[in-house]
Amino acid sequence: MLGGGLILTIGKEVTASMSIRPCALRSEAFCTLKEAYDQRDAQALKWRKQGKKVIGKLGFDVPDELLLAAGMFPVQVCADAGKPLAEANKYLENAFESVVRAQFEKLVDGTYGELLDGLAISNSNDTIIRIFYYLREIHRVEPEKNVPPVTFIDWTFTRSRLWQNRCEFVIELFKQQVEQWAGRTVSDDEIRAAGKLMNENRAALRAMAALRHGEEVRINGSEALTIIGAGLFMDKEEHTELVRRVVEDAKAWAPVTGKRVFYSGANHEDTALYEKLEELGLVVVGEDTDWGDRSYERDMDLSCPVIRGIVDRYFLRTPTVEKSRVAQSVEILSGQVEATGAQGVIFYTNAYAEVATFNMPEQRKMLEGRGIKHMTFSRMTYPLRKNEGLDEKLAEFAAEMKGGE
Amino acid sequence: MAEEKKPASRSAAVKKLAATKAAGEYQKKWFLEMRERVEREGCDFAILNADVPMEIFRAMDIPFVVNQWWSAICGAKRKTKRYFELMRENGYRPDLDSYCAMALAESYDPDDKKLDEEGNPIGPWGGLPRISISITRATSDSLVKIYDLLARNHGGELYVMGNTIARKTPLNWYELAADRWEEIYDSDRLDAAVEDLKELIRWLERKTGRRFDMNKLQEVMDLVNEQEGWYKKIRDLIAQCHPVPVTVVDTINAVMQAQWQRGTRWAADHARGLYEEIKVLVDKGEAAVPNEKLRMMWLGRGMWQDFAFYQRFEEKYGAVFMWSMYLAMGADAYTRNHVEKDPLRALTARFVGMEDFLHMPPWNSSWFIQQARQNDIDGVVYMIPDNDVIALEGSYFIIRNLEDAGIPVLSFQADPVNVGKWNAETMTGMVEEFIEQRVIPNREKINKKSPSVQ
Repeated sequence: MLGGGLILTIGKEVTASMSIRPCALRSEAFCTLKEAYDQRDAQALKWRKQGKKVIGKLGFDVPDELLLAAGMFPVQVCADAGKPLAEANKYLENAFESVVRAQFEKLVDGTYGELLDGLAISNSNDTIIRIFYYLREIHRVEPEKNVPPVTFIDWTFTRSRLWQNRCEFVIELFKQQVEQWAGRTVSDDEIRAAGKLMNENRAALRAMAALRHGEEVRINGSEALTIIGAGLFMDKEEHTELVRRVVEDAKAWAPVTGKRVFYSGANHEDTALYEKLEELGLVVVGEDTDWGDRSYERDMDLSCPVIRGIVDRYFLRTPTVEKSRVAQSVEILSGQVEATGAQGVIFYTNAYAEVATFNMPEQRKMLEGRGIKHMTFSRMTYPLRKNEGLDEKLAEFAAEMKGGE
Repeated sequence: MAEEKKPASRSAAVKKLAATKAAGEYQKKWFLEMRERVEREGCDFAILNADVPMEIFRAMDIPFVVNQWWSAICGAKRKTKRYFELMRENGYRPDLDSYCAMALAESYDPDDKKLDEEGNPIGPWGGLPRISISITRATSDSLVKIYDLLARNHGGELYVMGNTIARKTPLNWYELAADRWEEIYDSDRLDAAVEDLKELIRWLERKTGRRFDMNKLQEVMDLVNEQEGWYKKIRDLIAQCHPVPVTVVDTINAVMQAQWQRGTRWAADHARGLYEEIKVLVDKGEAAVPNEKLRMMWLGRGMWQDFAFYQRFEEKYGAVFMWSMYLAMGADAYTRNHVEKDPLRALTARFVGMEDFLHMPPWNSSWFIQQARQNDIDGVVYMIPDNDVIALEGSYFIIRNLEDAGIPVLSFQADPVNVGKWNAETMTGMVEEFIEQRVIPNREKINKKSPSVQ
């Protein structure tokens, strides 16, 4: 569960947030999503009590479609800011970023050992590839540790037909692993049905996003992160339905006003940063993260063979800031700024996970050419409160954004 | 990498081998001739990451340098500080993968091709020629960015080879690598990487207009095997000598400089010369440290900024740093016999596993323990890079393995490139304390149990 005081609204226990507006909290659908976002293990625990399998995901390229097709409950591995990092500090060198350290702690201290029937890791970035090596080795040399069974999805994101074909082989291997965990085979029809479910989920989230950066902003950044993030911890069908209802409710929410900001960089597992920005009168209208807008981009093509359809969805979607080429990152950001009407951009990277900084000089040039303000936060750490001087720098950015008003 | 500012050091590193000097001289001559050819012919010039199969370029006669070798040259020419500044001035973080970003920094130097007031070139050896081909494997996201920017700044083209992760983790890979290399990898990994190699060759043929010749590749591969075979003989010879005839100060540079030339007649002959030179020392009964009492293993990247560090414990303790990965890699990881059956597959079986044996437990941890045993190691000093995701390698498992085998380990986290963070006095004190409190007592305990080991 996240830190912070609890409030009771529409019969739901949700964590108080400075930025979630009363109009949102009057929406039963939103409060249900927020409850799932705050109580992240709750649905997984219920699922397990029913004797069903729960599979953890580390990295954002683990295809939900296959896990859902096998009747399993996928849940994203997340950090807990309140936990001491005794195990992480024992196994991990300094150069592991702070969020991953906190995730690893829960993977090794038994927290996820109790919750998960398996763990699927995708090679979404350099750091979590190493987490796979370490967990695999812990299984080998310290089998007494309560670490969930681990599998690795070895995507190769180098864009060529050769590697796309290789990815089909890799996803076929993952399917076999899922079938082993499930104790049964998974049919193409089941995978297509799961693909359809996920496409509907993504469509619902895209409808939500339209309310973040249309002519009028009806959903602020913290609310959006909550809506999107809840889906990482709850039943997908239920999530889709709730998102649809929130979209209807939000059409009547008061418009959010303020300078529009686009966020680029590290994933945020909570709304702390957005809350700070929103307190300063800024409106976060989009982001390129997997806990945000990137999660619902590109659908699975249900008309082609299922494995190819899955590869197509994950292999060909917009690359992350880490995986993109520099020129490509400029083009992507330019498009995102255009689409969201952003007037400013925040670049944010955590210490030891700063590959994206190689994009930034060219991206800044592009923004400056268009008169868009930007500020860079690097060498950051998790949780957010540990970053000294952050409030002052954010205030400086907000003042710059508002300059001339 | 050497540095512009020498830290406090009690002594300069003493290197005694002619082969080390010869390698240093050769690499400069080779570089200047290669650059002159690129300028004269206007031909393509490539920069390769260390794990890109340079053998293809050798076989196709495409001029190239290996990026990490060039970083070492930049360091030796006292360029690191200036290049850090250039990265900062151009909006980049100077501390990210700096070991791989020196050539990128150089590309921002407007004075790179100019001469100073005394008529000496400002860029290292006059700077790199224009890079028309920039190639890395996708072993890390930051490497792809660095090579992308390098290509962009030089007006060249980027080519990225794929990378896959090992499912197989053979504990005895070093016994199988030379002859039974097919067994140490998942077959599908090799299949994919061979296809990737074929695509690279096709791309190079189109780009450069040169033709690939399989017979020439086999010739190159045979020369590599010949060279690495000498390293194996050298490593085995040193391992069996008590006292050892040479230390890591002698071997690291001699081996690494020639390793970047692998696949040439010169490199194979140099390796043979190195062996013969060391053999003469052995035959004469010469010892690197006549009062050798303790045999030390250095784990991690070379302490380029302070080579004399390795020698500071010789007089006081008879502690000799006699093992580093640089010679042992050549001995155990690079040879691939039976080339004639399928030279491309044999080559693939060399480069595809470089990350595995260096940075993936248990490949690395099982090898280190075997090497510690073969070399009768008494203590291990292990420098863990503290700023580099690429070099993360499961240090916990490495240390645990060695300690469980009764070999004391001193580990510390440091930046192997940033000399500003290196404190020779503190480090010396730490190693002295380690030797006194752990290595010597452990040695005495072993001696008591089996006096013949002394």
